Amino acid sequence: MPCLATAARGETVTDSEAAIAVKLHALGKRFGDFIAVNRLDLDIRRGEIFGFLGPNGAGKSTTIRMLCGLLAPSAGSGTVAGFDIVAEPERIKEQIGYMSQKFSLYEDLTVEENIDFYAGIYKLPVGRRRERKEWVIAMAGLAAHRQALTATLSGGWKQRLALGCAILHEPPIIFLDEPTAGVDPLSRRSFWALIYQLADAGVTVFVTTHYMDEAEYCDRLGLIYRGELIALGTPEELKAAMAEELVEVSCARPQEALVLLEALPETRHAALFGRGLHVVVDHAEQAIPLIAASLEAANLPPERLERIVPSLEDVFVSLIEARDRLAAPVAEVKR
Amino acid sequence: MKLRRVRAVARKEFLHVLRDPRSLIMGLAIPMLLLFMFGYALTLDVDRVPLIVWDQSATPESREFVERFTGSRYFDLAGTTDNYRTIEQAIDTRRALLALVVPTGFTRDLQANRPVAVQLLIDGSDANTATIALGYAEFIFAGYAREIRLEELQRRGGQTLRPPLAVEPRVWFNADMLSRNAIVPGLIAVIMMVIAALLTSLTVAREWENGTMEQLIATPLTGPELIVGKLVPYFCIGVFDLALCVLVGRYVFDVPLRGALPLLLGLSLLYLLVALSLGMLISILGKTQFVASQFAMVATLLPAFLLSGFVFPIENMPGLLQMVTHVIPARYFVTILRGIYLKGVGPTVLWSEALLLALFGLVFLSLAMCKFRKKIG
Amino acid sequence: MFARLKAMLVKEFTQILRNPKMRVVIFIVPMVQIIVFGYAVNTDVKHIATAVYDLDNSVPSRELVARLEQSGYFDIVARVGGVDQIGNLIDHGRVKAAIQINHGFAADIKGGRTAAVQVLVDGSDPNTARIVLSHAVTIVGRYSDQLLVEREVRRRGAAWQPPELDLQIRTWFNENLESRNYYVPGVMAQLVLIVTMMLSAMSVVREKEVGTMEQMIVTPIRRWEFILGKTLPFALVGYLNVAMVTALAAFWFDIPIRGNLLLLGVATGVYLLSTLGFGLWISTVSQSQQQAMMSAFMFMFPAMLLSGFAFPVENMPESIQYLTWLNPLRHYLVIIRGIFLKGVGLAVLWPQIAVLAALGTGILAVAIYRFRKTVS
Repeated sequence: MPCLATAARGETVTDSEAAIAVKLHALGKRFGDFIAVNRLDLDIRRGEIFGFLGPNGAGKSTTIRMLCGLLAPSAGSGTVAGFDIVAEPERIKEQIGYMSQKFSLYEDLTVEENIDFYAGIYKLPVGRRRERKEWVIAMAGLAAHRQALTATLSGGWKQRLALGCAILHEPPIIFLDEPTAGVDPLSRRSFWALIYQLADAGVTVFVTTHYMDEAEYCDRLGLIYRGELIALGTPEELKAAMAEELVEVSCARPQEALVLLEALPETRHAALFGRGLHVVVDHAEQAIPLIAASLEAANLPPERLERIVPSLEDVFVSLIEARDRLAAPVAEVKR
Repeated sequence: MKLRRVRAVARKEFLHVLRDPRSLIMGLAIPMLLLFMFGYALTLDVDRVPLIVWDQSATPESREFVERFTGSRYFDLAGTTDNYRTIEQAIDTRRALLALVVPTGFTRDLQANRPVAVQLLIDGSDANTATIALGYAEFIFAGYAREIRLEELQRRGGQTLRPPLAVEPRVWFNADMLSRNAIVPGLIAVIMMVIAALLTSLTVAREWENGTMEQLIATPLTGPELIVGKLVPYFCIGVFDLALCVLVGRYVFDVPLRGALPLLLGLSLLYLLVALSLGMLISILGKTQFVASQFAMVATLLPAFLLSGFVFPIENMPGLLQMVTHVIPARYFVTILRGIYLKGVGPTVLWSEALLLALFGLVFLSLAMCKFRKKIG
Repeated sequence: MFARLKAMLVKEFTQILRNPKMRVVIFIVPMVQIIVFGYAVNTDVKHIATAVYDLDNSVPSRELVARLEQSGYFDIVARVGGVDQIGNLIDHGRVKAAIQINHGFAADIKGGRTAAVQVLVDGSDPNTARIVLSHAVTIVGRYSDQLLVEREVRRRGAAWQPPELDLQIRTWFNENLESRNYYVPGVMAQLVLIVTMMLSAMSVVREKEVGTMEQMIVTPIRRWEFILGKTLPFALVGYLNVAMVTALAAFWFDIPIRGNLLLLGVATGVYLLSTLGFGLWISTVSQSQQQAMMSAFMFMFPAMLLSGFAFPVENMPESIQYLTWLNPLRHYLVIIRGIFLKGVGLAVLWPQIAVLAALGTGILAVAIYRFRKTVS
């Protein structure tokens, strides 16, 4: 697992400093006794779509808030667009767009008024304002709702408007904190089309999500768990680097089968997946016959039993499980 | 109405209150602050009015005359002068409220039995203080004038004369005419109205604004259950405040309680309910916290302060406004409090006020319940 | 340079003016209040409901009662036949005072003795009681003097003239001693305090609570741009309120305006600076609107009471008097009353204006300093 992070970093070292949009060194944040983010090292290249993943409460939002200057870090350092996040947060703010997971535009202003407001706040030159406004309205598909109060818009529209306001000033870096939470699949898809457009234009996108399909869209992913970065790489690298192998099982009464397979010594971990089971093992070649045998014995003959390429979800579940196994003895000792 | 659900709402509301210590502390500290401010700092009693004197005559008699003013407890000598400019300045800068000008020929003219005019200049801008100060000045002056006349008559007639009339003043209920004795009871009405209404006015509006109301609406909880449940914790705070006011009034400020304590407490609880219901109604009508808070200010603080008879007597108001005061619950409670505290009267006198308070509570509460819609938007 | 500020101002104005309830709160409510409270704030004690218990029922006793009634201060609303009736009337609050004249009143006067007039007042309103007593003493005293002179004239023949000592009273600024002239400007100052302070106290914390603050923080907006953007619209609202209410005071209540309106404008500016500054400070240190409102209230109520609006500052203990220097309302009251009633100018009012300006800039600076562009 740590090898992944090293490999990814090895790549970036060859890039020139100017090509780095975000650079973090040993960044940390604690709230009282709780360590929300622990010694985070990270480099993000310009023009990259960087996906920041992790379960709820892992420290995603805290990290993004530190990067945007919303929170002061309690340890470590970092730069965004070349500016120090501790010393120059206000300079950073001119270079970034930020969209939070909660809709945070003014609901009692109309679509146009919200855009005009942020155009003023970001000091858009008067000549550019009309053009950018029209761009945002067209992008968000709000042409028919220019005069509508923002409160009356549906979730997807609000989302696109919020994104529009965040990138009104054409920032080189944008931070999106769970931008598609609670948005329907169709809207999500068009939202990601927009993000690709932006990345093509050279914008660095830093996005947190817990939708695995969205993670696949990213150039590179970082997995954060309990405040620590436990994996870093492209989706393909992460999948390839999964140390264990994955076996998919379909059979009748999968609940019973799950209990059965978890008890096998070869099984690292087993979980229900769709209508079947995913079983993580060290060596699929050796495990498959054993699994088949134990299922046959329980009168649950497998309809399908084969090694598969792990999905991102499998990779993350496996990484997190591994982490928990590592942390458990430590916790015992502490107690 | 299911008691269990009411209890659940009340418990939740208690938790809100306890988790927000600042609001809780204010709910308890504001009454203390107000009580102590009124008890110690604020008084309408007019005494030691600053007086500036220009004694043009400067004779033993004129000095004795001036002494009558400056020696009384009503006036304080703020300075002497020998020109009008200083007087003007002293009054402009509020260093003196009154100026006494004794003319050059004061003694000579009096002895020659010629008319003498003493000038009194007064800053009338604070009409209340000015009226009272003027009353004192006239009182002292009339006493002196009367003595002069009697002396003159006695000198001529050679016999002791007595004035034909004398006023025997008798002040009932508040013999020392201490404004504290009148203000502390009235203050209880203001404090309870303000605290109760302020605390409750945001509770429903906050749930609307934060979106938690949506969740509540989706449950079988009924409007009355929600309203009653929400009132319970604030009622407890109100009771605590009330106990505080009564105890501080009695033991710190020595305000005499002439009437029956149970009657005072019973009617206070009734009034507390009225105030809480009003706050709840405001909260339901206001929908957003900002609007609700503004309406709470306008509908509770200022009327309770200005229209209840607490500071400004209702009898002095024009007829139309006197009618308006009838819809201010604080008005009835101020009457009740003064009645119980100072006059020691009982239910035979106060029943109509109590009945009206109950009526107000009923109206506010049923309005709140009927205006509360379990609908969004 | 001012692009961000302008955007803030446009946004704030739109938000304020869009909400119909808000429009009512800002524009209609103060007007209604000044009219209602303008009539309410009146301590002029006249036409006091009075009961008479005349046991003597003689020519001088009737003459005395007539004089009391003619003075305009006493309204005889009841003539009673017993002391218990007086008690009952006072208990119910039907009368505030009672005059009792005992048997032998006329005989005492005739016999050269001093005849007593009992004046009973309800002390539960000490202010009224005091004024009632002083009027009663003055009226009775005057009648007494007249009786004395008549008696002496009868005894000595017509030629005698008693020494005449006259008190000439000249009232400045408020010739008819109308308390309304004094209180209405005070109500104005209070209304402006309430409206502007509440608006500003809720303003920043509302953005925190609704979540729009987070989006604001990640923009490059400067702290002073944000705070000023919040302040100016409310300052304008405050000015508008002062203008409306001043017009009502002048044309509806006929309150004289003797001083310079321009000076009133300047003084209002520095006053608003401090009320808004305190409001914003509260807003930046509060976590919820409820907290902000309670805190604003915690500031406002004492400010109103310790301002000299109803309770003269001069009567307060000295330590409290020093404390009132921190109270913007106190200084503004001196200014506004000075301008309205006394017609004094900068020469007299400069200390108050200076203190207000210092208070305002100081507290606004604290608010800007306390305002952090971070979330907690």
